[in-house]
Amino acid sequence: MVNVPKKYLDEVLPNCWYNIVPDLPRPLPPPMDPPEASSRIELLKRILPRELLKQEFTVERFVKIPDEVREKYEVLGRPTPLYRARALEDLLDAPVKIFFKFEGALPSGSHKVNTAVAQAFYAHAEGVDHVTTETGAGQWGAAVALASALYSLRATIFMVKASYDQKPGRRALMEFYGAEVVPSPSRLTRTGVEVLTKNPEHPGSLGVAISEAIEYALDNDFRYVMGSVLNAVLMHQSVIGLEAMRQLEVMGEEPDVLVACVGGGSNFGGFAYPFIGLKKRKMEFVAAGAAEVPKFSRGAYKYDFPDAEGVLPMLKMITLGRDFVPPPIYSGGLRYHGLAPSLSLLIASGVVKWVEYGEREVLEAARIFAKTQGIVPAPESAHAIRAVIDLARRAKDNGERKVIIFNLSGHGLLDIENYREMMTKYRGP
Amino acid sequence: MKLLVAYFTVGYPTESKFVELLREAESCGVDAVELGIPPKFAKYDGPLIRRSYERARKVSANCWGLLREARKILDIPMIVLAYLDDYSEAFDDFLNRLREVGADSLLLPDLLIDYVDSFEEYLEKARDVGLTIFTNPSMPDKLIAKISPSSKLFLYYGLRPATGTSIPVDVVALVRRARQLVKNRLVVGFGLSPNDVVKVLKNGADGIAVGSLLIRAIEEGGVEEVSRVLKELRGVIDGV
Repeated sequence: MVNVPKKYLDEVLPNCWYNIVPDLPRPLPPPMDPPEASSRIELLKRILPRELLKQEFTVERFVKIPDEVREKYEVLGRPTPLYRARALEDLLDAPVKIFFKFEGALPSGSHKVNTAVAQAFYAHAEGVDHVTTETGAGQWGAAVALASALYSLRATIFMVKASYDQKPGRRALMEFYGAEVVPSPSRLTRTGVEVLTKNPEHPGSLGVAISEAIEYALDNDFRYVMGSVLNAVLMHQSVIGLEAMRQLEVMGEEPDVLVACVGGGSNFGGFAYPFIGLKKRKMEFVAAGAAEVPKFSRGAYKYDFPDAEGVLPMLKMITLGRDFVPPPIYSGGLRYHGLAPSLSLLIASGVVKWVEYGEREVLEAARIFAKTQGIVPAPESAHAIRAVIDLARRAKDNGERKVIIFNLSGHGLLDIENYREMMTKYRGP
Repeated sequence: MKLLVAYFTVGYPTESKFVELLREAESCGVDAVELGIPPKFAKYDGPLIRRSYERARKVSANCWGLLREARKILDIPMIVLAYLDDYSEAFDDFLNRLREVGADSLLLPDLLIDYVDSFEEYLEKARDVGLTIFTNPSMPDKLIAKISPSSKLFLYYGLRPATGTSIPVDVVALVRRARQLVKNRLVVGFGLSPNDVVKVLKNGADGIAVGSLLIRAIEEGGVEEVSRVLKELRGVIDGV
């Protein structure tokens, strides 16, 4: 167990998760079965752990974290640290204070394990011994591999092929924890075979990988664990924001702006929702996405399938369409075509603002952060850093004092090879 | 006394059986009926009710005639259920037809989901007919609390993400949350099992609504089976 003083732990690590749905400004449109098809909603019962499904649809503001899960949170090093980025502040020389919650301190390297542990526990508790999932960059896959190891479950992880090729380190990490890692599209599922028949060079996408993981779970009566999008997943991630809230209180700070990067929305939701739903103070919320996956600027807010094959129920969300094939950017975690329905609603109703950044700007931000604060951020998290740097510069231009807090959702040590390639690709004249 | 609300699809399974079902429902102690007009797309319904709509569309084109007929034979309140999506353009005409057939209320399942920004406008327009408002757990507490007194007859609360599905939910937690918010009679529905019915009523609901259960009964054993199911439910409800 990580040696955290008991008093601090009890004070900071929450007993309950927080679900924002009862506090959203508008009703969250329910999942929908597509016309003229079998019920995808009914099918969820055969895919997801029962308790997860129950949490998804029993909308309660606070849900007690099971003792077995809270124990694992302690084992993994929760609460994670909240740092002040003083060296970055000095460099920017703006009238701002910058704090960051460091989820990269968790053993698998990102926030993803917060829900992986909960879902693995629920699968284990209902007597299932094998789970499946998909992964893009590998953070989610590594989290599932770790969580499965903690509960002695077997795990089969479909990894988007572009990432499988680009991120051998993460692949090795998953295998080290004992998981089976399969490049997607694969020949293990009908979906994979179909995609490969159309395009043998298909780089893979999260949508295809999700479909494969679900099909594999259905065919073998395993359980599928989901890394983002579900309300229950965002709820498990709320430990990030709830801890940060307490840590800021202890420090006597009140944030003005909250920033996090967005793929499917679990890191943003987990970090920002407690502040959005529970704090009455006026704050600004900024979601940072990838310009190469322009869901905010080009996506539509409509019912779409969260997976490429359309096995899951349709969700009303901001989406680029389930057929969207993202360019093979290094931030694999941001390549998803859709967005959690709750975050989609908050963006559509203007509560959360968005920015999108291209890889070059993100690389620059990541290096600034590494050279000032010492931590190599995950390329996904570097989108948030880019936004923070811009916000600080704007505050300087406008002479506004601001307290900015962002979620450093993961570290980038396993992405260092990719950073090296990016440095070559974007080398200045 | 707790309420038993029964849903039927207009014209299902046939025009004559539909009328027969209503007679039977009233005699079995049903307190109000919801009569569903087959929509273009039953967005928020589960597989059984969708199937009934398809079938009803094939066997009957006489929806309004059947509603008029229903009014003649029913003494209990008659709530017409329709998707606003189909009538939002010609809502006034739609209301006129409802007045003509003598509907006691109108339930629009998509009102607070797809028309939440203009629901007050529809509420106002339909003031004399009266709206029975549909809510569910993914609606904000504030909205449920605000709207519940405006609902005619009762406030409908759907427990599951679609009708007739058996998604596991914590019925007790959901009903307690709703009960705190709703200043009106609270009727709960969506995929209720017999076990759910007891829990729902013991935790503060004023009644239950069944739909898919009856469609299944019609498919399996016709009017007789529906009668058996309704009598059994009446017994359970009165025994709580």
